[in-house]
Amino acid sequence: MMIQTNGLSKSFGGTEVLKTIDLQVAAKEIVVLLGPSGSGKSTLLRCLNGLEELSGGSVEVNGVRVASDMPARKKSAGFREIRRNAGMVFQQFNLYPHKTALGNVIESLLTVKKLPRAEAERIGYRLLERVGLAAKKDEYPSRLSGGQQQRVAIARALAMEPSVMLFDEPTSALDPELVGEVLEVMRQLAQEGMTMVVVTHEMKFARQVANRVVFMDGGIIVEEQEPESFFRSPESDRARKFLNQLSEH
Amino acid sequence: MNLLWDNGLFLLKGAYYTLLITVVAMFFGLLIGIVVALARLKGNLPVRWLARAYVSVVRGTPAFVQILIVYYGLVDYGITLGPLTAAYVALSINVGAYLSETFRGAILAIPKGQTEAAYATGMTPWQALRRIIFPQAARVAIAPMGNTFIGMLKETSLVSVITVTELLRSAQLLVAQYYVYMPFYLGVAAMYWVMSTLFSAILEAIEKRLSKVY
Repeated sequence: MMIQTNGLSKSFGGTEVLKTIDLQVAAKEIVVLLGPSGSGKSTLLRCLNGLEELSGGSVEVNGVRVASDMPARKKSAGFREIRRNAGMVFQQFNLYPHKTALGNVIESLLTVKKLPRAEAERIGYRLLERVGLAAKKDEYPSRLSGGQQQRVAIARALAMEPSVMLFDEPTSALDPELVGEVLEVMRQLAQEGMTMVVVTHEMKFARQVANRVVFMDGGIIVEEQEPESFFRSPESDRARKFLNQLSEH
Repeated sequence: MNLLWDNGLFLLKGAYYTLLITVVAMFFGLLIGIVVALARLKGNLPVRWLARAYVSVVRGTPAFVQILIVYYGLVDYGITLGPLTAAYVALSINVGAYLSETFRGAILAIPKGQTEAAYATGMTPWQALRRIIFPQAARVAIAPMGNTFIGMLKETSLVSVITVTELLRSAQLLVAQYYVYMPFYLGVAAMYWVMSTLFSAILEAIEKRLSKVY
């Protein structure tokens, strides 16, 4: 398994946002997390690379395991190793505003991998080419459209050569006409065999690209299915209700 | 007016000390400020508490009193500092407290997503601070830092009381020698004004350049 959580739980203050989640993702699998807002899907994603501290249970990504009962030092070292292996793309892009597109992409190559600048720039340029933004390499994020910023963010996440990519509502902050270019890059990644966990509201993407839909509600995994059967005949009432609400729009 | 010209060199030397004290105090204040800001943001409970106490005490007492304590007060404990050293120490400690608040605010002003993005690519907390947060926070901090710098320039006049012959004390010595007040006091006022204005202009230029970068 590329990703495996065991009894993963997460509380904020007194509220339990995730309740004993057991999620498995195989290598090269593309899993879409669906669910109403507040269902815990983003929190689950952020627990996978330790951006949220675990309240209970454990996470394993590409052979590196972190459990909530480990000493703090061991946990942060474990998650740092996981993060080198798991790229993340955020809803708000979170590009570094003081660095150019290329500077954003190569930052972790310089800082974390300690590559020489020339080599890092070569890799960075190739990645920008891959997301169709080589011409924008010297632009600062403030001069890029939302779609372009998110593509740079994807290139930045790819720079560490991750074995998994985590997408946290990557198109939710975009104007509708810019969504397509980002989804296109993600589709391409999927075709190249990247393992992906995607939180999204793009049902078409889920239906066409995902191998599996994981439907969450109230901090638990309600059901998991292949996209075709999930969208045609969801097993649970909650999923049915969720899909009905979507189709009403 | 002639009195001023005749003693111009003496006054300029005073201005030199005013500048020197300002720059030295700002330099060490900067270091103190960064360390204390980090202590308050990232330290464990006792460290945070200590940093808070330092800021509270320094900001809650007059700089004048602080200078007197460092120069005269410490002698009681066998620590005798030269006037200039005492001025450096007292003013560095003083300005460090104000700067730490500036830096703390600037660091807090950077969105959390920046740190998360840095962490998500495998950076350590220190790498994220150094490469991602500090450069952005510096831009936020530069304007209030400039104000502190100019404030410090004027505050240095306080150390005249511990016999550091900076600009104000140079004037006082001349007053004592010639028994006239106005030309010398107006003269040094003008010199303070020129220095403040000059630095304001320089800082403004730096600010403009920094804001152009991105």
